[in-house]
Amino acid sequence: MITGNLKSSYATDEQVLNNRWKRLFLWLCIAGLGLIAAFGNNYIILIACQMGIMLIAVTGVNVVIGYTGLMSLGHAAFLAIGAYAVVIFHNAAGAIIPESLLTLAAIPFAVLVSAIAGVIVGLPSLRVKGLYLAVATLSANFIVLFLIEESFSAPWTGGVNGINTPTPNLLGWEMDTRREQFVLIATLAVLGLLAAQNLFRTRVGRAFIAIRDRDYSAEILGISLYRYKLISFAISAAYCGLAGALFAYFYARILPEQFELHLSLMLVAAIIVGGMGRTMGPVFGVIIIVMVPELIKVVFGALAGGGAELAMIRAPIQEIAFGALIVGFLLFEPFGITQIVDRGLRALNRWPFARG
Amino acid sequence: MGQLLQYGINGLMAGAIYALIAVGIVSVFKATRVVNFAHGYLIMFGAYFYFTFAVLVPQAAWAPEWLQSWRPDWMIEMREGLPMFSPLAAVLDWLANGPRILLGLAGALICNALLGLLIERTLMRPLMGQSVFAMIMLTVGLISILSGSAQLIWTSDAEFVPALAPNTPIRFELFGQMIFLFGADLANMVIALVIFAAIVAMVRYTKSGVAIRATAEDQSTAYSMGISVPKVFSRAWVLASTTGAIAGAILATRNGISPALGLFGFSVLAIVLMGGLDSYLGVFLAAMIVGVLEALAQWQLGGEWAEIVPYVAVLLVILIRPHGLFGTREIERI
Repeated sequence: MITGNLKSSYATDEQVLNNRWKRLFLWLCIAGLGLIAAFGNNYIILIACQMGIMLIAVTGVNVVIGYTGLMSLGHAAFLAIGAYAVVIFHNAAGAIIPESLLTLAAIPFAVLVSAIAGVIVGLPSLRVKGLYLAVATLSANFIVLFLIEESFSAPWTGGVNGINTPTPNLLGWEMDTRREQFVLIATLAVLGLLAAQNLFRTRVGRAFIAIRDRDYSAEILGISLYRYKLISFAISAAYCGLAGALFAYFYARILPEQFELHLSLMLVAAIIVGGMGRTMGPVFGVIIIVMVPELIKVVFGALAGGGAELAMIRAPIQEIAFGALIVGFLLFEPFGITQIVDRGLRALNRWPFARG
Repeated sequence: MGQLLQYGINGLMAGAIYALIAVGIVSVFKATRVVNFAHGYLIMFGAYFYFTFAVLVPQAAWAPEWLQSWRPDWMIEMREGLPMFSPLAAVLDWLANGPRILLGLAGALICNALLGLLIERTLMRPLMGQSVFAMIMLTVGLISILSGSAQLIWTSDAEFVPALAPNTPIRFELFGQMIFLFGADLANMVIALVIFAAIVAMVRYTKSGVAIRATAEDQSTAYSMGISVPKVFSRAWVLASTTGAIAGAILATRNGISPALGLFGFSVLAIVLMGGLDSYLGVFLAAMIVGVLEALAQWQLGGEWAEIVPYVAVLLVILIRPHGLFGTREIERI
């Protein structure tokens, strides 16, 4: 039972992971990811890659919704921008930059473009909040997709038909298998999570939390709402842009319809299920949001054995399950899985003196 | 100039339907402070219910024949010797469909009202007094549940549904310009406007309307004045889902039925915010403006551009007037 949190130097006080359990957990996670990369079969790798990409995006959404308290229903647009930025960069700069450096340049480019787009989409947040902001970002999602699909941008984006994507190439290491790409995705996902954990120990992160808790009070305390709201949007868009870039590398072809409203809702659903404003929230949320449809697929596969009729009702059932997850967590566990985990850990910690 | 007039009128007709849909969102917001993101999917259910009762039930083996197509002797007599495409023939066609249209509307209204009640009782009421975020996200979750269950229930391809009014072409001259309309579209507009006006009058003058307004003003005071706030909530949801059912029936006759109908709700949500969430007048004006702008965009730029008109319009309006054209400012205390 922990009765205090003894710190004997500033260095220990300033650590990102401030106790040994957290550090142990991180190393276990890294070891687990290494095991998956080494021994996982193709199916596990595929699911893990999807989770990794989603995780980066959801971490970004968590910055803006969970920590800054700005409601956004349009973050799929930033994934789309990141994904298309990578493809366009490869097509445009492929002749100038040597191939081994292209990926190293394309990913920061995508992140930067997304961050700039984030600032633009975040502009309404200076005037409105809550519901109005939700609709404004939702509108932005529709408009961005429209601009990608329209005929004037079709030479670069491929329009409605989508466009083939390049394979990543890190300093001559061509990552043309899913397993190699998983290494890239997992590394970036872990780094992204650590960066998010670190962000909320800094001045900027604390300003976000102050804005979430009460924006007027934060302003009175001297926090510039304009500046920090836009920074928040830029950071979260940058995360989503990174996720979009990896998305483009991971799939052979990207289509505008992959970035529709449904993806935005999935991102928000993941942090509701996982727990808002917590570092581990996105992790739990993404696992549930990706696994539940897969489980339904597996169960239906076992039941039907290839029957067409059952296969037809699978998609609606997955959709209902997705909605039920959001509704169920909002009604019964509004703080998400992190809350359940906290309760469990607390019980474990205090055992045998108290339960929960 | 002539084209402009024609497209403008088309836009007004679309705008009236937007207004009819928007009235559901506004009513729920006024009473419960919840913005219903899933309203488009309620409309979709209305459309599917209309389809069920106007097409599927009359086609069933046990349904009486007059339900499918009502042809009394006098109608057959009148029909004889009529030329093709005459207005009278269109009216007679509509009359023959009369029973199933009525059944469809009644079925859609009742079923959708029950659906609205169910949603309110099981999902919204437990969240009374929770944060706005939770309520909104609940309706977002509802989107997936509704759209999934619609696909589960109505697996068959939706086919033609009977129009609510005789679909005879109407030509007339306005400012020296021929205008061409379809009778059904005109009737839809009239229905939408009448219902909109009736609801505004209801909220203004009847007892239950006053209760809704009082609840909107201050929930706890309304409670202490003897108004049953939960009842007001259910009433608002029933109002929203029934107007949604009619809007769904109209949309089904105009654009056909598909799960994409639900997306309509998002553009109407944009319209509602543009007009101001709690102002019937503002929402009406915004619906008309967006309807006309959409028609003009379709005329000048092409069909795809019309789709994003509401979203661009709402972004512009929100940036200039954060609470919409006529919405009341929210005052926050620290």
